[in-house]
Amino acid sequence: MTASTAATIDEDTPMPATERELLPTATGAETLAVLRGLLRRQRGLTAAALTVLLLGTGIGLLTAPLLGHLVDLVDRKAGTGALTLPLVLLVLVALGRGGATAIGSALVARLGETLLASIREQFVERALRLPLERVEAAGVGDLTSRVTGDVALIARTVRQALPEFARSALTIVLTLGALAVLDWRFAAAVLVAAPVHVFTLRWYLGRAIPVYAEQRVATGALQQQLLDSVGGARTVRAFRLTDRHVGLVEQRSQAAVDLSLRGIRLVTGFFSRLNLAEFIGLSSVLVVGFLLVDDGSVSIGTATAAALYFHSLFNPINAALVLIDDAQSAGASLARLVGLSALPVEAEPAEPATALDGSVEVAGLGHAYRPGHPVLHDVSLTVRDGERVALVGASGAGKTTLAKLVSGVHRAAEGTVRLGGADTAALGPAGTRRTVALISQEVHVFAGPLADDLRLARPEADDAELRAALERVGAQDWVAALPEGLDTVVGEGGHRLTVAQAQHLALARLVLTDPPVAILDEATADAGSAGARELEAAAAGALAGRTGLVVAHRLTQAASADRIVVLDRGRVVETGSHQELVAAGGRYAELWSAWADSRVTTG
Amino acid sequence: MRTGGPTGGDVLRRAIGGQRRLVTGAALLGMTHQACEALVPVVIGVVIDRAVATGDGSALLRWLLVLAVLFLVLSTCYRTGARVGERAGEQAAHRLRSELATRVLDPRGGADTGRLAGALAGIATGDAKRVGGVATVLPYGVAAVAGLTVSAVLLLRISVPLGLLVLLGIPPLLWLGHRISMPLERRSGVEQERAAQAGGIAADLVAGLRVLKGIGAESAAVARYRTTSQDSLAAALRAARSRSWHDGAILALTGVFIVLIALVGAVLAMNGSISVGELVAAVGLAQFLLGPFQLLTYVNGEFAQGRASAGRIASVLAAPAAVATGTGSVADPLGALRLRGVHHGALRGLDLEIAAGSLVGVVARDPAAAADLLLCLGRETDPERGTVELDGTDLTALDPTELRAAVLVAHHDADLFEGTLRENVPAASPAAQAAAITAAAVDEVAEALPQGLDTALDAGGSSLSGGQRQRVALARALAAEPPVLVVHDPTTAVDTVTESRIAERLRTARRGRTTVLVTTSPALLALADRVVVLEQGVVTADGPHHELAADASYRSVVLA
Repeated sequence: MTASTAATIDEDTPMPATERELLPTATGAETLAVLRGLLRRQRGLTAAALTVLLLGTGIGLLTAPLLGHLVDLVDRKAGTGALTLPLVLLVLVALGRGGATAIGSALVARLGETLLASIREQFVERALRLPLERVEAAGVGDLTSRVTGDVALIARTVRQALPEFARSALTIVLTLGALAVLDWRFAAAVLVAAPVHVFTLRWYLGRAIPVYAEQRVATGALQQQLLDSVGGARTVRAFRLTDRHVGLVEQRSQAAVDLSLRGIRLVTGFFSRLNLAEFIGLSSVLVVGFLLVDDGSVSIGTATAAALYFHSLFNPINAALVLIDDAQSAGASLARLVGLSALPVEAEPAEPATALDGSVEVAGLGHAYRPGHPVLHDVSLTVRDGERVALVGASGAGKTTLAKLVSGVHRAAEGTVRLGGADTAALGPAGTRRTVALISQEVHVFAGPLADDLRLARPEADDAELRAALERVGAQDWVAALPEGLDTVVGEGGHRLTVAQAQHLALARLVLTDPPVAILDEATADAGSAGARELEAAAAGALAGRTGLVVAHRLTQAASADRIVVLDRGRVVETGSHQELVAAGGRYAELWSAWADSRVTTG
Repeated sequence: MRTGGPTGGDVLRRAIGGQRRLVTGAALLGMTHQACEALVPVVIGVVIDRAVATGDGSALLRWLLVLAVLFLVLSTCYRTGARVGERAGEQAAHRLRSELATRVLDPRGGADTGRLAGALAGIATGDAKRVGGVATVLPYGVAAVAGLTVSAVLLLRISVPLGLLVLLGIPPLLWLGHRISMPLERRSGVEQERAAQAGGIAADLVAGLRVLKGIGAESAAVARYRTTSQDSLAAALRAARSRSWHDGAILALTGVFIVLIALVGAVLAMNGSISVGELVAAVGLAQFLLGPFQLLTYVNGEFAQGRASAGRIASVLAAPAAVATGTGSVADPLGALRLRGVHHGALRGLDLEIAAGSLVGVVARDPAAAADLLLCLGRETDPERGTVELDGTDLTALDPTELRAAVLVAHHDADLFEGTLRENVPAASPAAQAAAITAAAVDEVAEALPQGLDTALDAGGSSLSGGQRQRVALARALAAEPPVLVVHDPTTAVDTVTESRIAERLRTARRGRTTVLVTTSPALLALADRVVVLEQGVVTADGPHHELAADASYRSVVLA
């Protein structure tokens, strides 16, 4: 197993999906307000982009009347010499339109990308600063899907849909204007088709959104099934489950195919309905042209220009309408991002207290993740500055919860935690984090150069400090052996570190953070016994010189601690040194004898 | 690495050939659609010529009727053709996915060697879709050629010089456009990759949120994200700028080309070689023609991508099997194992006999030796030298599936599957399932879950802790009740108290059947009939745990 796949969820917090309290989603009005605020900051850019695009589209619209004029000249047999001026103008129009489109698109892209960057920076920062308990109540997946899926969807819309939509919409508006300039009755003729457009769009949007949502789910399920079956290929073979898993893949694939085809039916139905609008619009423009030429109010050239104008509108109309779908999804994504701002920030006290030393005092601590299911009851505990205390207990005894409460990652429902003599409420979130660090069971290696991963703990650290921290946890050798040492790209998509190496990194980060109090809740177990011994030595190195509260997953970790605190079903049942507790013959002695028995008596 | 399996070309041909009827149908419909699209400007020209210019009302009605029929045919052909084509593509992709899954999960193995699950899943989704996509775009290509042909005929009928100008002018025009865009596209590919980086970093930071919170590194993470985001913004702007200039240049080029057609057309109309309506039609056709040409360029690009994807698919399908197919089977195996002179990786001439029905512990000082032993016992590979026998039959003579029914190897990092906890412990009978669940202390895991044994697990069992996952995996192995069970480190993440409870029950659960425990856990080794120590790839000690425990070197491995 490699580090990136070894995310373990601690056993104290089983949180069924049905009880999850999802993060909030903003209303349409709130989302628009945020968007308006962002656009206001880019007012100049917005105006410039619109002006240039308008100019480009306007120039482009001159093509049809110039061609119409050409037709009139030909009709009048005005002679080849008369063609020069309109042709030169047409060439200028083509060049001008190209230039304006280039500049306009670049400006629209600049506007869109700048907005996008502001949005993602603002909301990723918001996401990273959310209280962990709120994120966990919603499930980490909710937050991840917002900062990745939703941001990516908005990005795609900004990059692909926005420029085309802007161009198409402007083309439509200006063409209608130009038709009205030729004769207002041409514009009116085109609008005859508008009800078909409105009807088609409503027909499409009502159906497209649920189908696409289902499609995304089905595609995700297929991808997941493939990862599940292919990733577990060894297990599939060992348990002779090949037929079953091939069947599952086929089933999910067929579901994705069926939904994909439903989507295709919808899109093709959409465009084919728009064909009807094209026919209605074109016929009415031709009929109006016929009547107007007949009563002498316009020339044949003008009627030709009107027909060509409308023919050139086919693509922009289709593009603009189909993109409304994208705009709607992007809006929904933005609402999910903006929703994050509705959550309260962690308040800092006006005059934060400071911790005087590394002592920890816990009094009357109680906690429940689900109402009526308390996991800690009235826990009191004092740890002297520099002392090393081991927390011992079976799975579900509340060790991890106590670690989270003391570190301030979660706030206790009852009781107080004092660090260095100051209450955590008085220290404030920032002060608490400066005082105490928690190395949790989560093993995560941040993507990028290994040095960058370590610098998250201390951004100003130089390479020598990083090396010193690695040496203190005994990681210098394997880091030096990496292809590019400290600069090796690790994590997702980079060099894959083992779980033990990832845990070394976590301890090195702790050394760099250098807090007076450290709480270790790492799962050393997966590394096997030789690895576990090595990591225990690394942990001892990282804890030297600070107060340590260690969640002991192996009893050897406990035996070497200054003091042992035994938890059972959320209560402290014993506390004392290893010798004292073994001699007392209580819960710890029982655990120890189970462990020692298996080791025979020679250990 | 291929062994007579399909090549990329074979995969592509089969994907299209398998959808022959749909592809042909879509092509015919697409051709009709393109031809109708080409006729629209022509009909506009005719209406101008015969109705608007003459004031003939009945001609107007007649030609509007023609226009209506044209749109009806056009719309129907487009809709049906696109649906049929997409169906062909989706079905081809589905069939490839199924073939890939069958090959990767084949009992003989080999296709997943050296490939990450994510990469294989990517091949089965992305690459399969792109190869299927070739079946979808092929009809478009055919239709584009048809559209070109119809427009060319129409243009040439209006005027030969004008038609030739259009037809000969468009290819160089497109070539020029391609030349302009090539360096831009290349550069923007790199830029777009950098622009996408912001998303990846955000996901990574959120994935490590607990770690960040634990060391109070939120501000450092936010600062890093801002830097990445600004880098991405700069890259995205460069990419957008390139693309904008490219679009502008293409637009200007096309515009100038249309002007050229208009010039020649106007001169021809002026001297009476063509009518005004024909001039209008010619300009319309020239504009229309760009469509099919661009379509052809697009189809060509899709083909190139499809070929590359087909190559990747073929390399998986043609991967050599890890073990040869045997044909023998073992009826009612007793479960005696014998390894003779096995050389493989870290195993260097291993001789080992395991009596039927015994419970044997194996301690390997080198984890690689343990891993290689498991590979040979489960026949995920055949040893380089030496033999592994089950009840006196060489494993290589057995069908891999038959063998695994007799010998089950449960790996240390065994994966759980999506489904409920209960579904992850399949058994022949409810009693066997219940017994396995109790033996591996999965009942305690279930107690902590909201729906007990019917709680659905997330993919890979990630909603469980490492210790819980291990217990479920052990229960699954026990529930299969194989005559020979080989378990590797089943309790490393399980707490001591639970581990000793599992150890007590394990012996009972496996009574009368052969069990091999590859582990360094004293709790488990203590219950084995005998323990074998592997060092330097051979057996160096053999005896009961309590006797071996007197040896200092044994203690240093086992009794941490």
